[in-house]
Amino acid sequence: MPVFKTPFNGYSVKFSPFYESRLAVATAQNFGILGNGRVHVIDLSPSSPVINELIAFDTADGVYDVAWSESHDSVLVAAIADGSIKIYDTALPPHSNPLRSLKEHAREVHGLDYNPTRRDSFLSASWDDSVKLWTLDRPGSLRTFREHAYCVYSASWNPKHADVFASASGDCTVRIWDVREPGSTMIIPGHEHEILSCDWNKYDDCLIASASVDKSIKIWDVRNYRVPVSVLNGHGYAVRKIKFSPHRRNLIVSCSYDMTVCLWDFMVEDALVGRYDHHTEFAVGVDLSVLVDGLMASTGWDELVYVWQQGMDPRA
Amino acid sequence: MSTRELVTGGAACAVSGSSSSSSNPLGALANALIGSSSKTQERLKEIPNAAAATSHTQFYDDPVAALPGSELDHPFLQSNAQGSDFIRGFRTAHDNGLADAWDEIQRQPHLDRVYNAAPAPPIQPTLDGPPQRVLSSFLHSFVDSSRSGIPLHPTPLPLLGLSQGDKQCIRDRSSIMARHFFADKSEEFINSQVNALLSSLEIDSDSHAKGPMPGRFRELEDYWNESQGILKPGAHAADGWVTEFSQHRAQHGDPDAWAHSFEQQHGAGGWASEFEQNSKFLQFVSKMSRGELIIDDNQVKPASGSWATEYQQQFNGGASWADEFVHDEVSHGPAQWVNEFATEREQEPVDDQWVNEFSKLHVDDWTEEFGRQVGEGALGDSSSDNWATAYDEFLNEQVASKERSDASTGVYVFSDMNPYVGHPNPLKEGQELFRKGLLSEAVLALEAEVMKNPENAEGWRLLGITHAENDDDQQAIAAMMRAQEADPTNLEVLLALGVSHTNELEQAAALKYLYGWLRHHPKYGTLVLPELVDSLYYADVARLFNEAAQMSPEDADVHVVLGVLYNLSREYDKAIASFKTALKLQPNDYSLWNKLGATQANSVQSADAILAYQQALDLKPNYVRAWANMGISYANQGMYEDSIRYYVRALAMNPKADNAWQYLRISLSCASRNDMLEACDSRNLELLQKEFPL
Repeated sequence: MPVFKTPFNGYSVKFSPFYESRLAVATAQNFGILGNGRVHVIDLSPSSPVINELIAFDTADGVYDVAWSESHDSVLVAAIADGSIKIYDTALPPHSNPLRSLKEHAREVHGLDYNPTRRDSFLSASWDDSVKLWTLDRPGSLRTFREHAYCVYSASWNPKHADVFASASGDCTVRIWDVREPGSTMIIPGHEHEILSCDWNKYDDCLIASASVDKSIKIWDVRNYRVPVSVLNGHGYAVRKIKFSPHRRNLIVSCSYDMTVCLWDFMVEDALVGRYDHHTEFAVGVDLSVLVDGLMASTGWDELVYVWQQGMDPRA
Repeated sequence: MSTRELVTGGAACAVSGSSSSSSNPLGALANALIGSSSKTQERLKEIPNAAAATSHTQFYDDPVAALPGSELDHPFLQSNAQGSDFIRGFRTAHDNGLADAWDEIQRQPHLDRVYNAAPAPPIQPTLDGPPQRVLSSFLHSFVDSSRSGIPLHPTPLPLLGLSQGDKQCIRDRSSIMARHFFADKSEEFINSQVNALLSSLEIDSDSHAKGPMPGRFRELEDYWNESQGILKPGAHAADGWVTEFSQHRAQHGDPDAWAHSFEQQHGAGGWASEFEQNSKFLQFVSKMSRGELIIDDNQVKPASGSWATEYQQQFNGGASWADEFVHDEVSHGPAQWVNEFATEREQEPVDDQWVNEFSKLHVDDWTEEFGRQVGEGALGDSSSDNWATAYDEFLNEQVASKERSDASTGVYVFSDMNPYVGHPNPLKEGQELFRKGLLSEAVLALEAEVMKNPENAEGWRLLGITHAENDDDQQAIAAMMRAQEADPTNLEVLLALGVSHTNELEQAAALKYLYGWLRHHPKYGTLVLPELVDSLYYADVARLFNEAAQMSPEDADVHVVLGVLYNLSREYDKAIASFKTALKLQPNDYSLWNKLGATQANSVQSADAILAYQQALDLKPNYVRAWANMGISYANQGMYEDSIRYYVRALAMNPKADNAWQYLRISLSCASRNDMLEACDSRNLELLQKEFPL
């Protein structure tokens, strides 16, 4: 299985919605504490287990997350630790990039999510406790959602309801918002510790998962959010990122500071269905391909990006 | 394996494939010892010193196997032993070879050249971008400390040329991240790690840091459910915490200020449960800022010579209340008044300061004593003019300040931003802290207790005692009064109030409380006639105490109070006799010796006083107050040179003793050592110690 080595510590990896063999990787120097950053756009080679870098963009500060545009196949957005969001176009030469730099957040931007339904807008989650809504063509944010009491680590659009999204924050809550409403429409105080990631189920629009520093992942039904539908335990450390599978209703993948990537089926009693321990440092980014069933990618602070098929050994 | 091999990347520690190359000694060492990638566990095993680390050995054995692929059920780290007490953790880390290796590296002289980018000596490999590598490897070790569980050292790193913005980034991001990876460790551990990182990089954790999340509103389940969308946006509380604790002290203003600011920060009713976790972090920060802990030799330890600690160690209930304030407050001459530990300590020129001290005395006492002392030439002729002028100038102000001080007593002022609020058992915590000598912390914990239970006499009492030992008589009195309200018959409280008021030279109030002590005492209550209560005369109270003494000659408390009383009336001989009697009963009470000495000094038996102080010091060599008092006694005898030495010694033990600085200054000018005045003003202890060794 192909491996890609990045010079800096990996932070996030995302499959392109247009090209099944293309991924974007966000990296940051010195674990994102201090230093530069780089966005890599890489291509899987169809024949050999080699990953080629298509293009890379250097940034002044660490890149914490990256998101592909759903409207333009060559456009991606990067979340920078200096609080800015940069828009890149892989079709343009490096000197024309970034297309735009959106500087509004007061603190590090930690998460990005592009709206898969409307395709024109994206969210940014920041350590300045707010979530902002943007479009590619506007220089300023459309909306700012400021209710969290601590860093917002991640925001995630609902796959069915184009205007609904969820945000996960260090104030130990997940909040659900509707962009048409002024404030949050629901607050799920899901964990006793910081919540680092949240994601919606792609088949059931009422199910949302949250991953926390308390090492657990909880699945919630928004119609009855007081009790989780399921609690997935098994990680040895904080769970950094989760993603529901676009192909299987009950499958969710997670990566954690315990250096593993785990695959879960939350409807089953023994939920852990797969465990990959290929990383040798914190595993901080994971993604599932929308275009290829079972194709997954992960990256970590060990500066490696793995792409593999579910069920296979990433290191093979 | 020798350190040199480690440094130059000897065969046994070959570093391969890691991003921090071994091209620089520090980086190589870091990699060798800690590593940045998969080599970590193996290498750690190779190093004999590291494996010898006591509580950490287990990390190396098990987790190597426990890494990716192993049983999910094994906790990744076997114990949180070092997390529970970060001081112990630091010492433990110090004891293992890592510390020695680090130290070794620090000592190597060529390191300086390394960072000045000079040509490397032959022992060094070539460098490229050393500051970056140092930082890199240091951050690596910070991150890896989570894995190995070794608490990070605050290691002095060479100048890395970090800008302010860089430092802020490091500080904020590492704090936030640390909270993620160290989640199952105690808050202390987390913050010791972060602070070690920060201090090594010489970054302060200042007010603009994004501090820890204030915490969940655990009690507000229903509130959550009902307040969908109505929940007020949380204020950016985190930022304020660290500031408040750096500054610590409550303003002497609105007693409810704490409540208001708390509410602002956390929303109405925000008794966040996270406080008890955050409190340890803030405790650490506040300890650091108050100098109660210092990072010295890569260890964090309590500041030596801390007055608070010493007081605590000698705490023995009622007797300790009659503390050094007694001998100090009832002062007589211009020299004696310096003994007073003024509640308002202002940095003013010598003359003014003297008179501020005076301002606490009654006007009558002033003129009489001043005249007497000047007449006796206790201070030398030249100074008497200064005194007279200063006295004239401040005569009016003295009255005004007395009024002020009266008005401000009796109202307890709570501290803002108290992290112990919401603690399940703040009283126990406060008692523990008090026992440990962490007086400022104990104050906060006890405040939390009395906020929770305003009728808790014990809480108020201890709070009062703590304030007294922390040199804040105003608050002490206020707290004691609340204790008395809560429990009017508590003897300790009454005694303490009596002593405090004596310190403040509020004779009438002092008498009232001392009388109350007698009245409520199971043994001596019979002596008391109820009709005396309204108009207490000193003589009556003294007589009663004498009777009590006759009743129970073995009761040291009675003698101590008598001694205090006699000081109040300036019958020093009798006071001395009382203290001596008390000392016969409690010969090892260092503070009693000090009181005796002070009384003797006040009665111009300074030579005897010095002997008494010496006794106190024999019992407790770090007794800063006795050292300072020695200085005062010498000054009283006109032996300024000597007095300076003693002041300097006292200050060396506790540089925060503001009063001692002032006395020193006075002695310096009396000794015509104006050349050292600047050193004194700038608190240059080193210079002073060199100049005036004991």
